[in-house]
Amino acid sequence: MSKPRSAVPGFAIAIAVLIAGLLLALTVGRYPVGLGELMSVLYAKVTGHVADVSPAVESVILQVRGPRVMAAMLVGAALAVAGTAFQGLFRNPLVSPDILGASSGAALGAVLGIYLSLGVFAIQTIAFLGGLIAVGVVYVIGASVRSRDPILVLVLTGVVVGSLFGAGVGLVKYLADPYNQLPAMTFWLLGSLSATGVRDLLPLFGPVAAGAAVLVALRWRMNVMSLPEEEARALGVATGPLRIAIVAAATLVTSASVATAGIIGWVGLVVPHLARSLVGPDFARLLPAAAILGGGYLLLIDTLARTMAQVEIPLGILTAVIGTPFFIWLLTSVQKNWS
Amino acid sequence: MIDRRALIAGLSAALIAPRRASAQTLSDAAGRTVPVPAKVSRVFPAGPPAAILLYTLAPDLLIGWPRANRPEECAYMLPEICTRPEVGRITGRGNTANLETVLALKPDLILDVGSTSATFVSLADRVQEQTGIPYALLDGRFAGIARTYRSLGELIGRPEDAEKLARYTEDTLKTILSRVEPIAASERPRVYYARGPRGLATGLGGSINVETIELIGRNVAGETPGGLANVSIEQILVWNPDVIVTIDQEFAATVRNDPSWASVKAVRENRVHLSPKMPFGWVDFPPSVNRLIGLWWLAKILYPERFPEDLRALTQDFYSRFYHVAPTAAQIDHVLAGRD
Amino acid sequence: MILEGRQLTIGYQDRVVGAGLNVKLENGEVLALLGPNGGGKTTLLKTLLGLLSPKAGEVRLDGAALASRTVRERARLIAYVPQTHIATFAFSVEAVVLMGRTAHGDLFARPTSQDRRVAATMLDRLGIAQLAQRPYTMISGGERQLVLLARALAQEPQFIVLDEPTANLDFGNQGKVMREIRALASSGLGVLFTTHDPNHALRAADRAYLLRDGERLAEGPVKQILTRERLEALYGASVQMITDAAGTAFIPG
Repeated sequence: MSKPRSAVPGFAIAIAVLIAGLLLALTVGRYPVGLGELMSVLYAKVTGHVADVSPAVESVILQVRGPRVMAAMLVGAALAVAGTAFQGLFRNPLVSPDILGASSGAALGAVLGIYLSLGVFAIQTIAFLGGLIAVGVVYVIGASVRSRDPILVLVLTGVVVGSLFGAGVGLVKYLADPYNQLPAMTFWLLGSLSATGVRDLLPLFGPVAAGAAVLVALRWRMNVMSLPEEEARALGVATGPLRIAIVAAATLVTSASVATAGIIGWVGLVVPHLARSLVGPDFARLLPAAAILGGGYLLLIDTLARTMAQVEIPLGILTAVIGTPFFIWLLTSVQKNWS
Repeated sequence: MIDRRALIAGLSAALIAPRRASAQTLSDAAGRTVPVPAKVSRVFPAGPPAAILLYTLAPDLLIGWPRANRPEECAYMLPEICTRPEVGRITGRGNTANLETVLALKPDLILDVGSTSATFVSLADRVQEQTGIPYALLDGRFAGIARTYRSLGELIGRPEDAEKLARYTEDTLKTILSRVEPIAASERPRVYYARGPRGLATGLGGSINVETIELIGRNVAGETPGGLANVSIEQILVWNPDVIVTIDQEFAATVRNDPSWASVKAVRENRVHLSPKMPFGWVDFPPSVNRLIGLWWLAKILYPERFPEDLRALTQDFYSRFYHVAPTAAQIDHVLAGRD
Repeated sequence: MILEGRQLTIGYQDRVVGAGLNVKLENGEVLALLGPNGGGKTTLLKTLLGLLSPKAGEVRLDGAALASRTVRERARLIAYVPQTHIATFAFSVEAVVLMGRTAHGDLFARPTSQDRRVAATMLDRLGIAQLAQRPYTMISGGERQLVLLARALAQEPQFIVLDEPTANLDFGNQGKVMREIRALASSGLGVLFTTHDPNHALRAADRAYLLRDGERLAEGPVKQILTRERLEALYGASVQMITDAAGTAFIPG
């Protein structure tokens, strides 16, 4: 029997994208930082010596650009992994992590936080909880409707609940003070990593690492979960509990990402397809490849967002502008990797 | 798109209400011809800048406020006027006033102070047509305040009071600008206006939020024209402003300890200033005459040697002329500290 | 080992499809389930597999109630070959067959070399080893059915249940699959399949079970049960029977 097509070239490309993104992101920015200065600061950080660069440069690298770069990689990986998992779970390559309403829930949480003039950490926490609650509501409603197709019920409930939370966002925006709160809400909703500092990394890293670990551990089972419900059960998989686990883990990473960076679409939709074209549809390889590629992808886009102009271009806009034509191109040229 | 019910309500109101003999007309800031009512006793403010302007000139005529005032703000205003009801807004971002409600309140005049662009002109025309109530659109720009006061005085029949406030405004502007004029542009301090709890939202060149800052200083974000925008800390580090002006308490409190801001010149030299905001903001919003006292405050921050005047005395004077109150020393302290 | 349904009332949440049904299958024998559309064949099949809960009665496997076994244990004893398989992702044939080994590993298990050996053996056995690396979506209908059969065999079950295994196959492949089913029984598996074609039942099955409107019309050895009268009663239409030296065949009349 012939050997399966090797995944090594695919992974190599994904890793190359990530490393290229990382190098680019660290060296490029509004504040001029030379490669030499970058190296000496990083070296100093690792060895504990003192770097001979100006404090401003050191601050830029360690306090500003460094955390932002880490956040971009985490968020990109998180959204890509969640998107991949959901595409398998919902047996549909056109699914994104927002399908169960996590983004709408987080958005409602965030705009409520801004409306109540809460501090930044409180806003992020409420956004995170909002995402979890939205999906929780969807799941409880979906599970209480007994049906032969639990997936369809989940999707429909997700659309409805997501809509409801979206209406809530609209209402809060309407009531908000148009001079101060409304612009803040608008900026937040469009997605941005501009405010990322070191203290934002831990609340992001925790849930993302936990959720991603669960999804990566379950990646073999995901192949089976992508089969029709009855076949999966006949093959010996307890689909109900596993579905809850996958949804919970994916929601954890999505909510944490949205709470930190606002609503960034298209990453969870485009990157799984890119990864599939590199390493094939087997989730065992797809999931890790998507994580790596997602990190690099968002890193490159975020670098664009913060260097193209003096002002920040919202990430959500860039991912849509870049993602849409990309997706159309994928649709037309790489069809062989779907059915 | 004419709301039929509003139209019918307007027609019936016109039929039932006593006809006004509008003998005079006025050309408002948008060049529209506005009939001047014979007697004005009730005025509807279309938005916050209009409400504030009207409050300063003729508080008794104010029907209500676009947004209800908070109790803390009422400590610095005439209590009976401050607590007048919330009536919504017709212009600006977000229309919350129901035209039927406007009619039910029976205003003699609708006052709008702000942008005179085509959007707002057509809004004014439409509302005037639908309701039959004179709708005056006056210029909200900082430099045009004196003229706006005079137009308003004519409209509501209080030309002498209006003249006093207009004079004061002109004198203030003249005094401040004359001292700043000789300073070359390159000598003027570079100011970053920080909004939002992280201080990363700012006003671009020419935006109404930084009008007073750009009048006497240099806006670091001023090269790019526009409105509000988000920037990254890196960009702020590149700009390296001399002074930071903010309206956000949380930002002002945390910026001194935030390592990413530590190398910014303004932070290092402790020139981060929290704008007072009671009862109305001194720097940014709402963009109305409330910024006049803020101009003194800004001038003293940017050019302390050229503006030796006592800010407390100025505040006392301004609050009594414009807000019709006499704040205590403790209250002035509270205001100047930028607290709620 | 015996797979049996006792006094089963089968159906869905909102309706009952059949009641008082008794079915029995031993390993080493082939049972064919015949009946008109909507008569309850697929419902009965899924109930015996444990995919649907019986509304009354119980399914027993090897002396214990099926419901008392976990989904994983069941998968090691009974395998399912569905009629159609909607493939969303283009897994390779080998990957598809490997999924049959799921029940032999735990929650986080990756396929072992033993798993790969079993998969390879099953592909060989069905003569489709050369398709191993092809995307499942790019092979013919008949080949796909064989792949699903290989997947079921990879579970190393005692029983295999097939839902209309020849429904989407061309004439040549139909015979091939039927021969395969006979071979499975010879190797010791118990096989249950539903079919629309009495001829397949005649050729490949030992016993037949006739189901109409949720009621058992007849059950027993194929040669006895498959008569023209019974089939006409089953399908409610006329049936012609042709017999010659080579054997018997039925055609719609």
